[in-house]
Amino acid sequence: MVKKYLHLALLFALAFGLAGTGFAQVGLGSDKDKSESDKKVRFNGLGRTSIQQTNLDGPILDTLNGEVNQVTDGEFLLDVAINATPNDVTEVQGILRLRNELGGFFGAGQSIEVRELWARGIIADIVKYRVGDMDMVMSPYTLYMPIEEGVDNRAAIFQPQREIIDYEQFYTANNERRLQGAKLEMGLNFSKVLETADLTGFISRIRSTDFFTAPTRFVGGGSVSLISDRMRDSFGIKGNITLNTVHTWDDITVGQINSGIRNGVNTIAYDITVYENPNIQLSLNGETGFSNLNLIEDSVSVSEERGTFLTAGLSLKHKKHGFNVRAGYHDIGPDFFSVGAQTKRVDFNSNKTYFNRVGAQNARRTPGLFDITRDRALYSFQVSDRLMNYDPRLSNALPYGQATANRRGLQISADWVSKDEVLDLDVQAFLLSELRGQGTNELKDFQHIRANATVNFHKLTDWKNEYRLTLGSQFENTSRDGIEVELVDLSSSLIEVGLEAEVYPNLFLLAGGQFLSAAGNEYIPVVRTFNDVRDFENAYIVDETETLLGAGLKYNFKKNTYVTFQYQSYNYANALNGDSDYSLNQVFVLYSMNF
Amino acid sequence: MKIQLLKVTLAFCLFTTLFLFSACDRDTETFDGPSLVNRFGEFMLVEPLTVSRSTVDFDAGEEVSFGASFNKEVEWFVEIKGLESGAVKIVDGFSNELTDVNAVWEGGTTTLPFFNLERCAVELIIPTEDSLRFFDTVEVVGLKNYEGSLFTDFEQDLGSDLFFGNFEFEFTNRTGRRSDIPAGQGDFFYYFEGTDQNVPNFFVGLVDISAQVTGQTYIPLPSSDPEDVFFNAFLYTDGGPHGIAVIQFIFDSNDSGAFEDGTDQTFQLPGDFPLSGEGWNHISHPMSEVGITEEQLEKLVGLRILLISDMNSQPSPPLAVDYGIDFITFTQGGPLEL
Repeated sequence: MVKKYLHLALLFALAFGLAGTGFAQVGLGSDKDKSESDKKVRFNGLGRTSIQQTNLDGPILDTLNGEVNQVTDGEFLLDVAINATPNDVTEVQGILRLRNELGGFFGAGQSIEVRELWARGIIADIVKYRVGDMDMVMSPYTLYMPIEEGVDNRAAIFQPQREIIDYEQFYTANNERRLQGAKLEMGLNFSKVLETADLTGFISRIRSTDFFTAPTRFVGGGSVSLISDRMRDSFGIKGNITLNTVHTWDDITVGQINSGIRNGVNTIAYDITVYENPNIQLSLNGETGFSNLNLIEDSVSVSEERGTFLTAGLSLKHKKHGFNVRAGYHDIGPDFFSVGAQTKRVDFNSNKTYFNRVGAQNARRTPGLFDITRDRALYSFQVSDRLMNYDPRLSNALPYGQATANRRGLQISADWVSKDEVLDLDVQAFLLSELRGQGTNELKDFQHIRANATVNFHKLTDWKNEYRLTLGSQFENTSRDGIEVELVDLSSSLIEVGLEAEVYPNLFLLAGGQFLSAAGNEYIPVVRTFNDVRDFENAYIVDETETLLGAGLKYNFKKNTYVTFQYQSYNYANALNGDSDYSLNQVFVLYSMNF
Repeated sequence: MKIQLLKVTLAFCLFTTLFLFSACDRDTETFDGPSLVNRFGEFMLVEPLTVSRSTVDFDAGEEVSFGASFNKEVEWFVEIKGLESGAVKIVDGFSNELTDVNAVWEGGTTTLPFFNLERCAVELIIPTEDSLRFFDTVEVVGLKNYEGSLFTDFEQDLGSDLFFGNFEFEFTNRTGRRSDIPAGQGDFFYYFEGTDQNVPNFFVGLVDISAQVTGQTYIPLPSSDPEDVFFNAFLYTDGGPHGIAVIQFIFDSNDSGAFEDGTDQTFQLPGDFPLSGEGWNHISHPMSEVGITEEQLEKLVGLRILLISDMNSQPSPPLAVDYGIDFITFTQGGPLEL
């Protein structure tokens, strides 16, 4: 037995040494895999067809010069996944994408590309491996894909477009990041003290070099999760403790490149149940750690920043009533930098697919709810090497998710699902302030409150058809005292309403809306390299409202195969400059099929 | 239950103290980015311009400092202008106050000529606040002593130490020591003027200045290393585009202690000095650029200064060309600091 453990430890040490550590979501042995294990080669995939027509209108239009105000486009797309299991412990998969833009014939607008390639398997019945494309997530402070701004409890009417974005950018419900590389994972079972220990390591290349200025960039790391239900017997408490380490580094030995970064993040996450009875569970949980950021030139560190963070809270779970509440302390240091966790989904510098520049001045249109809801060109899964731009109307308190640096305060959250599942409620609040000022020693205060509710009317009765109402809201306020030039007062609210009614079996009537309003003033930092504030744009003064309404039908042929026909109307109003007001109206048909 | 709570407390303390020590390193005394007050705040004068003394004797090592303070950091200039010479000294900075550290005048100049014993106007300019200008005056009663070995500043008549070579009779009678316009330094400078038309061969005329003007056989230099010795002179031009100044260094090839034309070797800077600018300009070059050795540098018996007319660019008939020269010095380690 001891020998076996030694063997396992050696294997892990080798994996750790080669690749650092990490976490994995996939592996052989799922039920579906087993049921089809007799097949050596399988085909599945996704097909999608969409056609949409979008109209732009409003004072922003340069009517004198006949600016184009209508775009019709669409695509036909087929992703064919070829999956093979050459033996019992090996599986390979490739996804081939065939795509044709609406109106593209004889080569124009057509593309054939490899969307995904990976292989995975098990070594000696002990270590799982995967090479090629993979999805990774660790913790919200190490490697994590924070949810995009402008989303609370998205109405079903907007969900098909969200699914397209998620699929195209490899976003998953677990906030995983899509990487290319290799990972190893293994689990150890214990008979005393610990129940299991999960070990994961990974390495990935996230950027290739241009041999002149941009070095090849790697990210690697891993985690050790110690899990026990039996700890309670030994120490009187039970819980999980996870050690995470993630490192991002540049290879500066190639070409003429002589500078690069080293960004390391090391954390301990814990979730310890300190009291439990059949009705109540009380847990202490949180994560603490530190980051290092080094700028290397000619193998010498020319700049170094060290950041720390600490989150700790108490969670109370009422098992009988399905009620959870958590209150915690949240402290993310001003110099905490974690590229794997702070890189956002929405890149506000990206060019939009629709009406990117409009008006007589050919000015760049600010992305709004319409674009965030449907334009996948705004989204990215790549890891950024500096803090990305953000829209303070949508998220000013936590623009980079929970890992947003320079925030300290309280976090309170609660959720409840009724026994009959009619009502699903959750609320989350952050009451934060800066630790270090921006442009002044005065500190900003942030209040961020989100509340969501889902009402499943059909569960009130014996209705077979589904009737659902979704409500989402987010309120934010940012303020700062001081002399006149330092004052900040920015408020915003985002409200989402959605209605889903199954008027005929599998035929849904969908309606919904999003309403954003923002007013006040703020200073938006211009970030230089990494997380250094270089300057501030001109004082940001805003008084804007956005309204996105939609209605349509959706017919489900079967699970994950549907067709939807929708009309959406979007209005942008700027109280400070009426000439920039505009509206977008869109009609579209989408057919999506998983096979 | 008490035991459980105790364990909760212990666990909490354990995890927090692990990292709280590192949180102590956080720099929260400063702020990120530029000051908002500097960036967007309205400018206000807190203390007006002050001048530390009304008269200053730079020769005695005195200096003048300026004071003022503002509510925000701004780019500022103090312009000191000689009311007789027209010399200008600029002291500049980016700060919220002028002090005896960052706003000091030690008698130097930014734009030639040098200052004379004269009254100077002092003006504080804040470029971003166009309407705000502050004035004062200071009187110079002693001039700054400049570093280096002075060859000649033409303040005295050079007499037989200057040979006037008007071989083709193309110099005008205005050529010579002059003081009718402000000199680069002091009151006098040497002026060349002529037209290459009697013998159209580029050459207009020259002067040879013997090392005897310094009271020595050879020109005294601060160093014998050609890379360490810098030749400096002030050249005056009036914008005429066709003149070229040539300055040659004469090595006593036969150790006679005097310049013998045709026998002694001359060195000159490649490219010479086109005379297309206006006003006084400072030229400076290390002696290594003329290709002279250390031994040759130690035996310079004089300078030859020529006026050339660039006939390739001259119209027909050719125009007069001219320039002035003043304050010829040799410095060590770098150009003369104005």
